[in-house]
Amino acid sequence: MAGREKQMSESPSPVSAASRRSVPKLAHQLAMVFDLNKCIGCQTCSVACKVLWTREEGMEHQWWCTVNTQPGRGTPRDWEQMGGGERGSIPVPGHLPTREEFGGGWDFDFQKLFYGGGGREGLRPSSGADDWGPNWDEDQGAGDYPNSYYFYLPRICNHCTNPVCAEACPAGAMHKRAEDGIVVREEGRCRGFRFCMEACPYKKIYWNHVNQVSQHCIFCLPRIEQGVAPACARQCPGRLVFTGFLDDVEGPIHKLVYEWKVALPLHPEYGTSPNVFYVPPLAPHRLNPDGSLDTQTPRIPIEYLERLFGPLVGGALGRLRGEIEKVRAGASSEMLDTLIAYKWSSLFGPFTKDPATLAGAAAADGATEEA
Amino acid sequence: MDRYRGRLAFDAVHWGTHCTNCLAACPYRVFTAGGRVVYEEPAGNLAQVEPGVPDMNPMSCQKGAAFSEKLYAPDRITHPLRRVGERGSGRFRRVSWDEALREIADAIIDTIDEEGCESIVFEETTEGGLMCWAPYLRFASMIGAVTLDGNGLINDFLVGQYMTFGKFSGASSVDDTFHSKLIFLWHSNPATTSIPYHHYVSEARYHGAEVICVAPDYNSSAVGSDTFVAVRPGSDAALALAMCQVILEEGLLDAKFVREQTDLPLLVRSDDGRFLTARALGDGGAADDFYMWDEKDGLTRAPRESLALGSLQPALTGSFEVQLSVGGESETVKVSPVIALLRERLASEYTPELASRVCGVHPELIRELARKAARLPTKILSGYNTPKYYHGDLMERSMVLLLALTGNWGRRGRGIQGLCVAGLDGYFLFNVKSKPGLAQTEQIVAGIAGATSALREKDPGLTDEMAGMQLLQSATAQGTAAPPVFFWYHHCGYREVWNNREWNDPEMPRPFDDYFAEATEKGWWAGVARPGPESEPRVLFGVAANTLRRTRGARRQLLEKLWPKLRLIVSVDWRMTSTGSQADIVLPAACQLERPNVQYPLTHSMRLGFSDRCVAPQGEARTEWEIFRALSEKVAQRAGERGITEFRDARRQLRRLDDLGQRFTADGAFCDEESVIDEWVRDSAVTGTMPPGTSVATLREQGSVRFTGMGVFAMGLSVAADVAPDRTLTAFEWHVQRGVPYPTLTRRAQFYIDHPWFLEADEALPRHKEPPAMGGEYPLLLTSGHNRASIHSVDMSNRVLLQTHRGRPSCVISPRDAAPRGIRDGDTVRVANDCGSYQVHAKVSGAVRPGQLILYNGWEPYMFAGWRSSNDVEPGMVKWLHLVGRYGHLRYLPFNWQPVPSDRAVFVEVQRSDDERSRAPGARSALGAHPLEAVYANGEKEHV
Repeated sequence: MAGREKQMSESPSPVSAASRRSVPKLAHQLAMVFDLNKCIGCQTCSVACKVLWTREEGMEHQWWCTVNTQPGRGTPRDWEQMGGGERGSIPVPGHLPTREEFGGGWDFDFQKLFYGGGGREGLRPSSGADDWGPNWDEDQGAGDYPNSYYFYLPRICNHCTNPVCAEACPAGAMHKRAEDGIVVREEGRCRGFRFCMEACPYKKIYWNHVNQVSQHCIFCLPRIEQGVAPACARQCPGRLVFTGFLDDVEGPIHKLVYEWKVALPLHPEYGTSPNVFYVPPLAPHRLNPDGSLDTQTPRIPIEYLERLFGPLVGGALGRLRGEIEKVRAGASSEMLDTLIAYKWSSLFGPFTKDPATLAGAAAADGATEEA
Repeated sequence: MDRYRGRLAFDAVHWGTHCTNCLAACPYRVFTAGGRVVYEEPAGNLAQVEPGVPDMNPMSCQKGAAFSEKLYAPDRITHPLRRVGERGSGRFRRVSWDEALREIADAIIDTIDEEGCESIVFEETTEGGLMCWAPYLRFASMIGAVTLDGNGLINDFLVGQYMTFGKFSGASSVDDTFHSKLIFLWHSNPATTSIPYHHYVSEARYHGAEVICVAPDYNSSAVGSDTFVAVRPGSDAALALAMCQVILEEGLLDAKFVREQTDLPLLVRSDDGRFLTARALGDGGAADDFYMWDEKDGLTRAPRESLALGSLQPALTGSFEVQLSVGGESETVKVSPVIALLRERLASEYTPELASRVCGVHPELIRELARKAARLPTKILSGYNTPKYYHGDLMERSMVLLLALTGNWGRRGRGIQGLCVAGLDGYFLFNVKSKPGLAQTEQIVAGIAGATSALREKDPGLTDEMAGMQLLQSATAQGTAAPPVFFWYHHCGYREVWNNREWNDPEMPRPFDDYFAEATEKGWWAGVARPGPESEPRVLFGVAANTLRRTRGARRQLLEKLWPKLRLIVSVDWRMTSTGSQADIVLPAACQLERPNVQYPLTHSMRLGFSDRCVAPQGEARTEWEIFRALSEKVAQRAGERGITEFRDARRQLRRLDDLGQRFTADGAFCDEESVIDEWVRDSAVTGTMPPGTSVATLREQGSVRFTGMGVFAMGLSVAADVAPDRTLTAFEWHVQRGVPYPTLTRRAQFYIDHPWFLEADEALPRHKEPPAMGGEYPLLLTSGHNRASIHSVDMSNRVLLQTHRGRPSCVISPRDAAPRGIRDGDTVRVANDCGSYQVHAKVSGAVRPGQLILYNGWEPYMFAGWRSSNDVEPGMVKWLHLVGRYGHLRYLPFNWQPVPSDRAVFVEVQRSDDERSRAPGARSALGAHPLEAVYANGEKEHV
């Protein structure tokens, strides 16, 4: 893993991506950092995305941004066991997640409930598989009380440096944008093969059963191109979603990822080089069987966190704890001040424009499909 | 990608805030196209207030993100509905507004004519913002109806804080938390319930604060804490008192703070437990003149005009002899300062070792936390969970005591979170104005100043805040507000419930009815105990009030006992609710974003949030102002036609009906929301709570306005703090930094309640008492808390938000309780006790404490099979001591002192609902199976 450490310690060149047909020479790479120590699992990011992008017919079960309780089976159910991605540049076969595995997409029959003759059965999902949903195992976690543990993990498309989804598309419908590295899909060219869904190891691509196309997070491109932060980031009440260019060496993302090394990708072993990073979760002390504090054993087993964030997670947590101790002792910490984000707008890099100042309808009229 | 670009198209942008009962006033931008809301998102326009403190942006949550779904939702009501089948049959027909209003007007007139106006009852609500609330209150006050106190109904009254401070408004602005160095999340789960504000907790942690989560279950706030204190449910007072014991034992007391700010140095008589008063001493003073024992000069009357002690050094230990004058004879009696009694009590009952057996927290952890609280600026972020416990008052008093002993309020980053409605004085002025314009405003403000001076002549120590409370009390005696406890007792069958000895504190010395009768006979609630037993309720209005959802025991008590008495039940709402479905007439109200509105003004955010008419109301929906204006006109018209143009109310006041329409609008001046809000904010500028020149146009430009002062009314003054443009607000600064007395009996933060009932109950001092066996002797203890996905029931039907959980109500149970009962995750279970039962989906989670069952609040009964919900197992007990009245600060004030029903810590059994084996009431086990209980199994019997 020394090699990996080295790789992480150096600023990447945005043009260092594999010489693959879907990856042009990049001017910049957009990225996000989610600080899991500020995430409260409120679902504002996921709902903001849902309301804005996936309310049409055929998208009922689509949540491009999800927040799940970890440990947990997540969405789609047991996605971490579904394969995809690459090991040593060799593609790993992946499972095509079904609508049932994503779950949710429920409708409810209020007409029958209120005016249907007083059956009083109680409101229930009236469509879709009702034994799983995008946040089914909320707050369940693991561990034995009082040493229970869990935390929240928001996930969007990682807009990977090595986009195996795009590579897998025989129709050539997906590519990384040269200007910012967003993995875009030209839905008009999608022929519904769904190899992208199999290939994506994060299982963040959905099948639109009405339009017969695959769909995934667009990194709020129509907002980004007008200087507005993505909805998940901008609506986050916890102020924890940093958005910006990974290669902006003065920006908080670059510092958190490369300088302070407290932000890590999820499942780096999937081999796709994600561009979404996470500040891993601290947790309260465990209790000994007699109820006294156990300050030695972490509440969340480090093996579990390593499984999610790779072998560097222990070091990241150590650095974070060290800074917190430093501040408690009266010193200051640039790292923690960055994570505090005294000014909300400092989270968003160059994307600080107020959406209310956009040209409204003109935004649609003047737009053209990118090359 | 063009398709997606098109999604952002809009043709107008408006301000909107959602005016739900979270009372946050998050400034949102609402984007509309073609007369429909297309999306909305937080404005993020709030400037940083204090350098070095994070700004408040963006102020948002998932309910806000999905709010506009509701406008077009399938449970939306778009036309007036009249019931045609049995109540609750679901059979309604569409009627015209005129037909609906005529029927309501006639029912009102019939009731006034036959039974009297007090038989018309409105359920207050804090849902919907001030433009939902103000219209029906205005109408109710014109016809002399009774409005049931909203805080009594929903029970967000922090009883113990009130008993201590004479108010529960210790509500610093939320950004003040950033200044804390020790934060207790205690009886609250802010990561779930205070979503827009919770970043200040995680940011304070990055700023050097330690975060301590005290809760029975490993909740979402525990996730981001440094220490999870796994407290046994209902035992928080024992934990707090043990920390207090450590403070005293280890000499960590902030003696200066305690001497100056609290009643702890006041002398108490050993013979009867009462405070030593000037009257008892024959000292020429009053019954509320109290004494200290100065270490130099001995017996000294406690200063009343200021908390400042000057050279006084009141004793905090010892006992002393004083000469009383009893009927001209002298008598010697021993007296001790309150703190000496407290010290004794704590030493004998609340050492960390003893308390640990009760609360399940390790003694060393208790000590460590106490030492930290003594050393660090400490804040307790509590919510409204405590008052939902039968003995929540004792918990709060104990938690505040910890802060008192460590000098932890009235300075930045310290205190306990309460609620303070302030900043919109114009709203209060509106209720006493008869016409628009600033001239009358200035007269009223001058009148308040004059009345305050007059009161102060009689009592030189009277603060503006106390005078404000007295003025409010006089107004209340003429107003519509009534604590609901009397309505429930006389008209809804709660008398039987509350007299059930088994469900009350086993230490309650006499039957509940004894106390009720005494409180009534002594006139402690005279004038507000309405409608009295002689006034049968006939008409019930609920405006955005989901009575059958929120009332503890509602189905049993209200549907079965109250409903048959009612001539007409009217639900005014934008959506069909469990209550609307049982109403006779359902009137479609405009939703937020369909009318100009302002959110309740709170010191939490220090801003008045504005919500505009972004789109027209759906269908035939009308705003509440339009509805009650039209109803006023209809009543006037029908009264004229029927020749019933005036009547006398129960207070013998003559009231007219034939001019209601003119009076409602003040002869046309207040024709709509816009004109009313404009009046409110202009008047607020007069009293200084808003910047000069503020008008509705300012709101429309900025979306919200930051308060500039706390004004002239009691509610604002009670936060006792200066407002500065560049500082966070710190509640109770005036008390701590300027020595301004508290509005309590002793004019100090009061930990000793010497009322005879409290002495009889051994609750004069804070102590721990076990939750009584509400619901019967069953092994599991049911707790609750606010739901993440919904503000009470308001967002429950939102189809987007329904997907963010299991899409149905679910209770959460520990695997250790589920396994022996054969319950698996996803099973339907039956929750039952002696009150009733309901079925619910089960979630099995190791985050829950064994012995605890959680059902979060707000699920609509209609989401349960048979529409039987958690309120079927809740008896809705009130604590008898809260019937004390007219004793110092223990007297009714709207939203304040009154008995409030409990629902936490109801005892139940759970079984798989396909498993209908006879349920045998099991022996009530120790609450939960914390490992500590095994450790102490050889100790004394639990403190039950």
